[in-house]
Amino acid sequence: MPKLTIEALEDIRQKARGAPAGGKGRPARAVVNVHLGTCGSAAGARAVMDVLKAELDRRSLSDVLLTSSGCAGLCSQEPMATVEIAGQAPVKYANLTEAKIKAILEKHIVGGTVLAEYALGSGYEKTGGRPALNVRPGPESPAELLPSVPRLDEVPFFKKQVLIALRNRGLIDPASIDDYIARDGYKAAIMALTAMTPAAIIKEIALSGLRGRGGAGFPTGIKWDLVRNAAGGNGGPKYLVCNGDEGDPGAFMDRSILESDPHSVIEGMIVGAKAIGTATGFVYIRNEYPLAVEAVNRAIGQARDYGLLGRDILGTGFDFDLQVKRGAGAFVCGEETALLASIEGRLGEPRPRPPYPAQSGLWGQPTCINNVETWANVPAIITRGAKWFAGIGTETSKGTKVFSLVGKINNTGLVEVPMGITLREIVYDIGGGIPGGKAFKAVQTGGPSGGCIPNGKIDLPIDYESLTEAGSMMGSGGMVVMDEDTCMVDVARYFLSFTQDESCGKCTPCREGTKAMLDILTGITEGKGTPDDLVLLEDLARDIKDTALCGLGKTAPNPVLTTLRYFRGEYEAHILEKRCPAHVCRALNVYTIDPRLCLDKGRGCDVCRRNCASDAISGRKNEAHAIDQAKCIKCGVCADVCNFDAVRVE
Amino acid sequence: MVQLTIDGKPVEVEEGATILQAAKKAGVAIPTLCYHPLIEPYAACRVCEVEVAFRGKRDLQTSCNTKAQAGMEIWTDSERVLETRRLNVEMLLARAPAAEPLREIAKDLGVETTRFPVKDPNEKCILCGLCVRACEQIVGASAISFVDRGSERRVSTPFGEESEACIGCTACAHFCPTGAITVEDKSGRQVIHDEMFLGPATAIRVPIRQAVPMIPFIDKSACIHFKTGECKVCAKVCDRAAVNFEQEDEVKEVEVGSIILASGFKTFDPRRIPAYGYGRYPNILTAMEFERMVNASGPTGGKVLKTDGASPQSVGIIHCVGSRDENYHPYCSRVCCMYSLKFAHLLKEKTGAAIYDFYIDMRCFGKGYEEFYHRLLEEGTKFVRGRVSEISTLALTDKEEGKLVIRVEDTLLGVVRRIPVDMAILAVGLEPDADHNHVAKTFNISCSQDTFFLERHPKLAPSSSFTDGVFLAGTCQGPKDIPDTVAQAGAAAAEALALADLGKVELEPTTAVIDEELCSACRICVGLCPFTAITVDSEKGAAVVNDALCKGCGTCVAACPSGASYQRHFRDEQIFAEIEGIFLV
Amino acid sequence: MNNAEDRLSEIIARYRSDPVSLIAVLQDIQSEFRYLPPAALRRVSSELAVPLSRVMSLATFYRAFSLKPQGRRGIHVCLGTACHVRGGPLVLEKFERELGIKAGETTADGEFSLNAVRCVGCCGLAPVATIGEDVHGKISQTKVAGLVKKYKG
Repeated sequence: MPKLTIEALEDIRQKARGAPAGGKGRPARAVVNVHLGTCGSAAGARAVMDVLKAELDRRSLSDVLLTSSGCAGLCSQEPMATVEIAGQAPVKYANLTEAKIKAILEKHIVGGTVLAEYALGSGYEKTGGRPALNVRPGPESPAELLPSVPRLDEVPFFKKQVLIALRNRGLIDPASIDDYIARDGYKAAIMALTAMTPAAIIKEIALSGLRGRGGAGFPTGIKWDLVRNAAGGNGGPKYLVCNGDEGDPGAFMDRSILESDPHSVIEGMIVGAKAIGTATGFVYIRNEYPLAVEAVNRAIGQARDYGLLGRDILGTGFDFDLQVKRGAGAFVCGEETALLASIEGRLGEPRPRPPYPAQSGLWGQPTCINNVETWANVPAIITRGAKWFAGIGTETSKGTKVFSLVGKINNTGLVEVPMGITLREIVYDIGGGIPGGKAFKAVQTGGPSGGCIPNGKIDLPIDYESLTEAGSMMGSGGMVVMDEDTCMVDVARYFLSFTQDESCGKCTPCREGTKAMLDILTGITEGKGTPDDLVLLEDLARDIKDTALCGLGKTAPNPVLTTLRYFRGEYEAHILEKRCPAHVCRALNVYTIDPRLCLDKGRGCDVCRRNCASDAISGRKNEAHAIDQAKCIKCGVCADVCNFDAVRVE
Repeated sequence: MVQLTIDGKPVEVEEGATILQAAKKAGVAIPTLCYHPLIEPYAACRVCEVEVAFRGKRDLQTSCNTKAQAGMEIWTDSERVLETRRLNVEMLLARAPAAEPLREIAKDLGVETTRFPVKDPNEKCILCGLCVRACEQIVGASAISFVDRGSERRVSTPFGEESEACIGCTACAHFCPTGAITVEDKSGRQVIHDEMFLGPATAIRVPIRQAVPMIPFIDKSACIHFKTGECKVCAKVCDRAAVNFEQEDEVKEVEVGSIILASGFKTFDPRRIPAYGYGRYPNILTAMEFERMVNASGPTGGKVLKTDGASPQSVGIIHCVGSRDENYHPYCSRVCCMYSLKFAHLLKEKTGAAIYDFYIDMRCFGKGYEEFYHRLLEEGTKFVRGRVSEISTLALTDKEEGKLVIRVEDTLLGVVRRIPVDMAILAVGLEPDADHNHVAKTFNISCSQDTFFLERHPKLAPSSSFTDGVFLAGTCQGPKDIPDTVAQAGAAAAEALALADLGKVELEPTTAVIDEELCSACRICVGLCPFTAITVDSEKGAAVVNDALCKGCGTCVAACPSGASYQRHFRDEQIFAEIEGIFLV
Repeated sequence: MNNAEDRLSEIIARYRSDPVSLIAVLQDIQSEFRYLPPAALRRVSSELAVPLSRVMSLATFYRAFSLKPQGRRGIHVCLGTACHVRGGPLVLEKFERELGIKAGETTADGEFSLNAVRCVGCCGLAPVATIGEDVHGKISQTKVAGLVKKYKG
């Protein structure tokens, strides 16, 4: 393919604008867009796609374009698909099955009648105030929307969201660079390369107030400025790195962006490359994300074909190219110095800072590292201006933040919200509250480095400072909701087992300290804790926080410190009363079967006995069952499988 | 220069110095474990943490790698520092309870025991990584590395097998602060005694204590730098920048008037007498090895130890090993009796062991020697007259179990005895050095029957050789002890000086002369000249006679096929004229 | 398929014996052979001119590598936070019982390897397990036996 000029690129954009979103620039009467992220695929979106394809072929509907896009955000209602008839607002369908999609094909695509009972909403999501970024978002006025279906931006899950990093969510095919270009893609890159000086780019980013979305929240503009002005060792090169080693369990926004909108990251990095003055960049992607690796590699190939990467980009004389580096399964490589070591092919072991990577990074050269979400924000800031971006969010934290809302919550998924939104709004308005009418207990943010924020702080406006204040941190944006059935001691133990397992083992406090803390916590959950344990835990936590070598080690005690701060009572129940209030710590549980419920409601269904791991359950069909406590290994499978709540846990 | 305060004391250090270096300058001690001045700081043990107040922030920093900056206020023993240090040390104690330096630091901090579970009470490794870093950064071999991660982390060679990359430099063990790495001698030889015999442990050393000039040299065969290109530790620590890796051995030509040969001897290799078991059984030492062992700067620090580290209870000293023996050397080595007596004395003094001294004749010829022998007799050394026939480990009785059994015919008692001892010392004899013949040829010197250099006359010219201007001193001429050597060397020096003092050399009047016109440079004379006085000057294309060397023997004159060589004052014409004259009378 | 030596040569050639690509080379070997054979590690060390000790430290540091052969199908049970609070550990235990192996082990017939992983990034579908390339969401202890059977058959 010939390299493009700027004019040719604009041409592609203009052509694609007229066509339906995700239409790859081709005209069609209708477009069906199946959302095929990792979550969607797991939920069965691929089967939906296959059925659709077969049906379309069978009916020879050549004027219907079948396409796919990445993650649509609302994981709990996958599989999802969007149907757009030319001239009408698109309709998003959720919780699809093969039967449902056939019906939709029949009624909506062929018949032109929206199937309101399956529809989630119609229209588009909000992308930050003005619709300018929605290049062709279709009808904006309610009149053009379909009356039988709620507006998508009025659907509770979407209502309070503002999409900047996820601006192309559900709208483009990640495998199509034209789709991305149609939605103002590479506009920022052209601006940066043709109309802006490096200083102007850095000033714009600094004015926008963008801070690193990877956790610590270092101002991006200042970081770029540091790298720009760092004297390269022996005048050697500088490097640009995208940190896609999203290791925090419970966070997956970076995976989603890389899989669903890889060009936004590439474009952000082109802008960054111009700003700091480099020709070489790396995208470091976690080993557990094979689809992301594939998507980014493909996107880089397309960008090279179009002349958007490589030598003399778009004829501007600027050179920049990218290379994907795969991680190999080490959480610690999310730490920047360890990540750089890993790119160099060495042991992913953090080293002391200073010197910071901005001074001495890859191969001793000044290196700028930002995470995926940060890079994805950059093109939007350049095209729409720092002022627009700075108008969103709070005094110290500008713009939006993507959170992955998971755990004990009704609407699980990715949410992008303006900074300053309260936890309550996220949990209840967007998340739709706790399933099963259980009581909300806490939200864990920031992954293993963060902490648990209790119910009492639910009106906390979320930004970098307030989360730190509450003992947690922004982290990469994992938000795990916990209800009354979650044991906070178990959660603390879980995170410690995580950090202990992922500790690289270099420094004493992290290697030995997390192990010691884990031993103590395990003891407590097994009923072997003593009151002295809490003192030692706190001493260890303080020691690790004070003396561990890297950021991951220093923050490892946070889950314990916050749970001790807000849920000390639960620890004491485990230690003094040998009781787990949430019935999670199985060694402290006693499982019994209520004979009446078993017989009356379940008619002795026998499921528990068949599933029992240790043959501890006696009874026959149509009889009340019983558990032999001497044989019970407390695996909890009986309680899990019983459909009649006859297994009691105490 | 950077000014800061440490524990309230103002300190000034160079730009770029670390807090640890600044503290050292201020005389403030900070404990360290993973730090070594020759290796890049690693900041892993977190024991050297200090509290730093700087630019409005006050937190803990590792002093080994944090650069000292102007205006820093540092506390090395605040409560916060001590608390975290204690806890870190306590955690390390659970990992490596047997690590001595760690225990010392713990003791200083008042940490007696650890509250954390101890996995292995004998563990010494604290995972400081000094060995790994030394092997990589200093040695450049990278034979060992960390494997696994987190609390499973450990140091290992690849696959836990013997590493092919290991050059056996033992730097890892040297840098290990806790003795967790031991060096094993794989060749199956005696560890203490071999290490001792391997000579100096370092590749950089002075040849001998009395060397002139007293300048160390680098033994390239042992030097890590010459194996891997790395290390250069000696250059790093030498503040006079005197180490030079480029220096090569060089051959220097020096013009001299006379030469004194003092090329010494070597000791007899007792492996040649298999019956003595040297090299096969442990605790059999040669005299040189024992000498090294009792040396205070030796590998055992002067202690007499068996291979198992214990002190011997009984020691046998065997005289005349290789000397006075028709099978090896018929001559007497002259020094063995006396050094054996010295050993017996030292052994008695150091170990109190029972000493058996096996001799053929006690040759105490020098001044005060006989008196020394009598002193030994009084000290209780057991002298057994007779040649030892065998040393073995074959035990015939319980008493002999685990001992070296020395079999000897006691010629005074007339019985064959078996004497069990813990250690045997072989009084090896002296023999000419290995390159003895080469030296003899070079200097045109003859050797006597015993193969030592032959002196011109045993009584009248004991320090001269048959080559004028070449003198002999010391054991190259025959076994002798130090006083004799010194005396002979003095005589040789005096003779050489006498020549120098004269300022001229009397030449033989009848030296050979080559007629360049006639000489065809056929080199027949060069090979024939017994005094190596003839060389061929390639420019002239003719043979040349060195007048100082020529003794006027006339061999070349007789052999010269073209008649180019003639003897001064004895040319053919002159002789013919003389003969004619005689006939005329 | 060619013999192991050729496959190894091909992988090393792919990265032009560049020591910077050491991790990538090991990853390709891992996916090709389902583990890192000692002979392969030795060859990588010599052809990439990286000390064997360093290769070993990488091979044992990163979880993506294994020095023991893995099963034909890898079962990865996610133990990320969301999966943990929604019962991931129970699912893992059920897999252990069902397969008769512990996490980190491989069945005797070489069919399945069972491993716990930290977050596969499908938190919205917790608890999650991946079998081979397939992601299975919202699984419970009761579904485990069926899954194992499905992949065995």
